[in-house]
Amino acid sequence: MSKLFFDRLLSLEEVEKEINKVTSTKEEKDELWAIVDEIVHHRVLGCVLEKLPKKDHTEFLEKFHEAPYDEGLITYLTEKIGENIEEIIRQEIGGLAFELLAEIRGKETEKPDSQSEKK
Amino acid sequence: MPKYPARTYEDIGKDKIGFEYLRNKLKLKNLETKSSFSKKFPHVEKFFAERGLDLSKIREHSAKLIGASALTGTLLLAPPTNIKFLPSPQEIVEKLKVEGQKVSEDVPQKVFVESLSSYLPDNPRPLSREEEKNLEQLFSNLLGVKAKASLEGEHLNTTYGLIGAEQHLKRYPGDSVGNHGPYLKEGIAPGLGAWGYFARSQKELTPSLEEDEKWYAVVQTLYLPDWNTRFKYLRDWYKYRKVLIVNTDNGNAVVAAIADSGPAAWTGKQYGGSPEVMEYLGGPRYKKGPVLIFFVDDPENRVLLGPVEYNKLNLPEIALRSI
Repeated sequence: MSKLFFDRLLSLEEVEKEINKVTSTKEEKDELWAIVDEIVHHRVLGCVLEKLPKKDHTEFLEKFHEAPYDEGLITYLTEKIGENIEEIIRQEIGGLAFELLAEIRGKETEKPDSQSEKK
Repeated sequence: MPKYPARTYEDIGKDKIGFEYLRNKLKLKNLETKSSFSKKFPHVEKFFAERGLDLSKIREHSAKLIGASALTGTLLLAPPTNIKFLPSPQEIVEKLKVEGQKVSEDVPQKVFVESLSSYLPDNPRPLSREEEKNLEQLFSNLLGVKAKASLEGEHLNTTYGLIGAEQHLKRYPGDSVGNHGPYLKEGIAPGLGAWGYFARSQKELTPSLEEDEKWYAVVQTLYLPDWNTRFKYLRDWYKYRKVLIVNTDNGNAVVAAIADSGPAAWTGKQYGGSPEVMEYLGGPRYKKGPVLIFFVDDPENRVLLGPVEYNKLNLPEIALRSI
């Protein structure tokens, strides 16, 4: 049960499809998955900490460090922030998906030109 | 410009460029993200550094904590939040006894779907051991399949989660999607499954291996807390391990063989199913949905892969529906 409290809010299926297109071994896939995972951790924690009052940062970090899998952290954050933190995280992930896909698909549109140049 | 057979190396080159390009792009994005995070929240960096933890490795940290908690039993004692507990084993046995009379002469799928909806929590989440035991009884009584959440000491990260549609897998070198009818539109994965080719050549592909690919499942072995420490054993244990997959929305059930690892945690899904598995679970438009996945307890290898036909008397309004 290697999970993080925000896992069920993530939905980067389109990014997964793009990774599947260019990877030919399990090792390659795992490597790219791990990089995306790191980006996600930082982006989610960043958006949470931006909303959370500074005075509560240490308490939250202690809780997160003790049990990063605990979905009860969503309830804790909602109480402290006073906003729908699930929606905030979903929006952050949606924005990240857009950024990643723009970069990945940008390359695809460049490909024909670069190939024709080689020919 | 025509492509000459002798120039197949060009395809390899193209794929490689795609991977390298994407890896570099993602690495750059990762560096930017981390740098921005460090600037905004230096105290957070310090907090983790003092505890000898890198935020990038938080998933591994979580796995260690969960692994340790499972050993001491502390995690299991803490009830999940916002849940609806299943009835006790005694209650479910009594209920099954009563409903058992109806089952033989009525429609089992209707009873099964109703039972699932009343026993399961509203949203997929890891189930408690007690809840899993109740479901094991339900599967045995209504589906006729002996399935276990824990088998030989092994347990998936979660037995109740979301399944997503996967592509066909290459069974041997040179295999193509055209050999995987009738479900061709899903395509074939460019890479191999976690256990590589099913056979070294087309000649060595046995009917049994054909079935393994046809009815394959994907589970998150890579996120198992002990995957790295017990890699060799677990890799062999999970290879083509039979699992019972139950669509909790309509009661359709299928026995599949684990043949790939995934999906990534950030996809929001916990499992994957081959085109055939997904077609049977929910119809041609079924791409994602909640399912239960339990190991099939089949030491004598008697259970066949494919649909569990307890529901031959399907209710048209709920069975094999498209979602």
